[in-house]
Amino acid sequence: MRKKRNWWTFTVLPLYAFTLIFVAGPLVYMIALSFASNREGYGVIWRFTAENYKRLLDPLYLGTFAQSLKLAFSSTAAIMLLGYPFGYFMAKLSSKWKKRMMLFLTIPFWVNSLIRLYGWIIILQTKGTLNGVLLNLGLIEKPLKLLYSYPAVLTGMIYTLLPFMILSVYSSAEKLDWSLIEAARDLGANAVQTFFTITLKLTFPGLLSGMILTFIPSMGLFFIADILGGNKIVLVGSLIQDQMTRGSNWPFAAALAVVLTVLTTLIIYIYRRVTHTSELEGLY
Amino acid sequence: MKRNKTKLPGIYLGLVLLFIYLPIVLVVIYSFNESKTTAMWKGFSLKWYRELFQDTAILEALQNSLVLGVLSCLAAAVVGTLGAVGLTKVRHRSKGVVEYVSTLPIMIPEIILGMVFLAFFSVLHLPFGMVTLVIAHTAFCIPYILMMVKARMAGMDPALEEAAMDLGASPMRTFLDITLPLIMPAVMSGCLLAFAMSLDDVVITIFVNGPKLNTLPIKVYTQTKFGVTPKINALCTIMLAVTLAVLAAGQLLRFLFSLAGRRGVRRGNSGNHLYSGQVTITEDGKSG
Amino acid sequence: MKKMTVKKLMSLLAVCLSAVCLLSGCGGQGEQSGNTDGKENGSESAGTDDSREMVLFTWEGMFPQEVLDGFEEETGIQIVYSNFDTDETMLEKLAQAEGGDYDLVIADDYIIETVVQEGLAQKLDQSKIENFGNINPLYQGQFYDKEDAYTVPYGAGIPLIVYDPELVDFEIESYEDLWDERLADSVALTANYRVINGITLLSMGKSMNEEDVSVIEEAGEKLKALAPNVRMIQDENTQNALLNGEASVAFLYTSQVTQVLSENPELKVVYPKEGLGFGIMAGFIPSNAPNSDAAHQFLNYILEPETGAQCFDFMGYYSTNIEADEFLENQDLAVPDTVTEGEIVQNVSEDAEAAYNKNWTEFRAACD
Repeated sequence: MRKKRNWWTFTVLPLYAFTLIFVAGPLVYMIALSFASNREGYGVIWRFTAENYKRLLDPLYLGTFAQSLKLAFSSTAAIMLLGYPFGYFMAKLSSKWKKRMMLFLTIPFWVNSLIRLYGWIIILQTKGTLNGVLLNLGLIEKPLKLLYSYPAVLTGMIYTLLPFMILSVYSSAEKLDWSLIEAARDLGANAVQTFFTITLKLTFPGLLSGMILTFIPSMGLFFIADILGGNKIVLVGSLIQDQMTRGSNWPFAAALAVVLTVLTTLIIYIYRRVTHTSELEGLY
Repeated sequence: MKRNKTKLPGIYLGLVLLFIYLPIVLVVIYSFNESKTTAMWKGFSLKWYRELFQDTAILEALQNSLVLGVLSCLAAAVVGTLGAVGLTKVRHRSKGVVEYVSTLPIMIPEIILGMVFLAFFSVLHLPFGMVTLVIAHTAFCIPYILMMVKARMAGMDPALEEAAMDLGASPMRTFLDITLPLIMPAVMSGCLLAFAMSLDDVVITIFVNGPKLNTLPIKVYTQTKFGVTPKINALCTIMLAVTLAVLAAGQLLRFLFSLAGRRGVRRGNSGNHLYSGQVTITEDGKSG
Repeated sequence: MKKMTVKKLMSLLAVCLSAVCLLSGCGGQGEQSGNTDGKENGSESAGTDDSREMVLFTWEGMFPQEVLDGFEEETGIQIVYSNFDTDETMLEKLAQAEGGDYDLVIADDYIIETVVQEGLAQKLDQSKIENFGNINPLYQGQFYDKEDAYTVPYGAGIPLIVYDPELVDFEIESYEDLWDERLADSVALTANYRVINGITLLSMGKSMNEEDVSVIEEAGEKLKALAPNVRMIQDENTQNALLNGEASVAFLYTSQVTQVLSENPELKVVYPKEGLGFGIMAGFIPSNAPNSDAAHQFLNYILEPETGAQCFDFMGYYSTNIEADEFLENQDLAVPDTVTEGEIVQNVSEDAEAAYNKNWTEFRAACD
């Protein structure tokens, strides 16, 4: 028993050490920075102030947070609807096809994400592929202005983050005990009942980690709003970028980042509470 | 095992894959575009490929990116997998906090993280270059692997491990022979995502990079003054072509996979057995 | 129990420390001396290595390959081309390296002012730059380097309005025209918030570097009125919007203007009558550059008329080298007379800066 304990302690040691030095350290620095004062020109003055947080209460910045949340929620929901069935069906494939599917999902990673988004511009632009197809089919008479709009940004978000959901659901559904489902069906449960009572419950850890892995980045991914949205949707990420670069107000940028992190954490926490997944052993 | 007879799942998978591949097909097509902009098609040309092959810097940057991706992915896989498994077993008050903190690198906006890393590494007097890059990339790769493996571990039948222990296997043996094969799909999924993130990252990379090292995304994203040229499309196309060539050679591929599996386990002789065992154990272990 | 925790903590600490030692230790061997420590003990082997190498720090695509190769051939000095994405990243990296690591940096005017103020640049030894006289005096004595002690200008730009006469049925002559109702949802803008604020101020007859917060706020209101006309705001590839018909008017940087005209010569370029904004990129040598000799040599090399012309043709920015003008393939890049009337966007006070920033965020939010 004793030996067992020591072994498990040993396995978490690298994670503890790495987290302590290379994550907690920089983190403390970031929090400290958010309470520092901005220096004119360049850099910061280490004089305590809560001014940066007070400034956040401006409706302008609160609106930006709301905008980011809205986009994060809508893209996470869409990705879940699209990605869950994919991961689930993928887990039902033969092991040969599982491997192939894994590859199909990986190959796009070789293409730089920026370049992939340029691919979407070609599709969505007014003289683009999609309009061309629609015009030829006679579904529309005049080309639509699809680019630089909210739906375009949403498409980009879904496109970029979908693999996270798929792989997450897949790795959870892959260990699913299909005999349980069959048993439920044999006992007279219909497909819908079986899905909600058994399948969804058993794959929930995967779905949850997928949602976290898509929700978190979607709060920060502003370059999609930049490229496909023409920068017209202001997200917290781009606000931080502005403050870090030509605005050169690092403390304010750090405060924005702290609030963003706290907000993200809070939402995930509430979500886990509401869905009672916090009781699931071994889940984040 | 009875399988779903309808074609619907297949059609669905196909449609989503189409969605994923559509922009990529266009990237490939436009790598042959005569024009410098991706705005319009001006005729077929190979000039971007010619330019690409003259650009030794970009090829070197690609090499650096691959080395960096593999190193940080491996480091994150070891730390993250061990940690994820260990965290479900260890009972200590600190574990929740550590787990939370370790996932923060993907919550904090890149530009802040990059700047903070730069300041922090300077304090530690770490020499900027591959070392700092690997540390920073490992930091944001760990969460992916950690989350994937933990989701897989959740609700996993502890009876298997206990049985092995009861039969006298050491914890390490149990981990290597029972736990690891069971969680392998999650480790692989996590690694793929982590590798993709590493291969794509530019903001953090620029901050913690040394003066003499370039990665591929740096070369792509720092053309801000001029706009990205189809040369990058050409490079992506070549990378795709190489991947597809590997895919076509199915045998070779299986060999590579087993090699990867072996490396993850850090055991020379049982790689093949482990990989082929992965599926059977998960299925048999539960239903049997 | 308590003892156990302490022991655990101790071992944890030990692991942490050894990890750091290990990392920095192997790093020192693996990397060519990266930081300032390298200065003291770098005299033996690394020193000789360094003199054959010059680290150039700027955006990607600032030099044609032939020019870099030409310099390497002529001097035997290897160029290490290192990139940054924004001027601010460059400043931060340079500050952390205490003015070391990099031999030559090329960046935008406003950031150089800060670099010089922070003592991160060294004075040029003009005796080592024979071609210093080739610099177009128009670009000298600027706010960031009034005595021309630190910098050599390398390319200048004037953001201009370009429009497609097929899609716009009136003649655009001024910034003010961008507010015209006929341009609803069809204007593409660059994403530099100071420049966009600046042209709004110019259209009001004010300076681009207005310091009065109430005037800036007034400009903010006017800027918001532009929102319905904005099709997109972007720094990179803004010119594509004009080429693919997404926008009928665009406000573009010089390299983008050059590129858009080479793709579609039918487009019309407007020098807005309210005045122009202009910017200069310049090279400077960091205060602790490991190989400032090579940097001087390189500056001299790119100031040679023919080499300079090659560079400007490649970049598509205005030539800052008066002797290079006649060798330019694209004569549009020789200095236009209008440049002299241009105003450079400069650093402003913190309050003004914050006001500009706020205008920008409000403007973008209004575009949605």
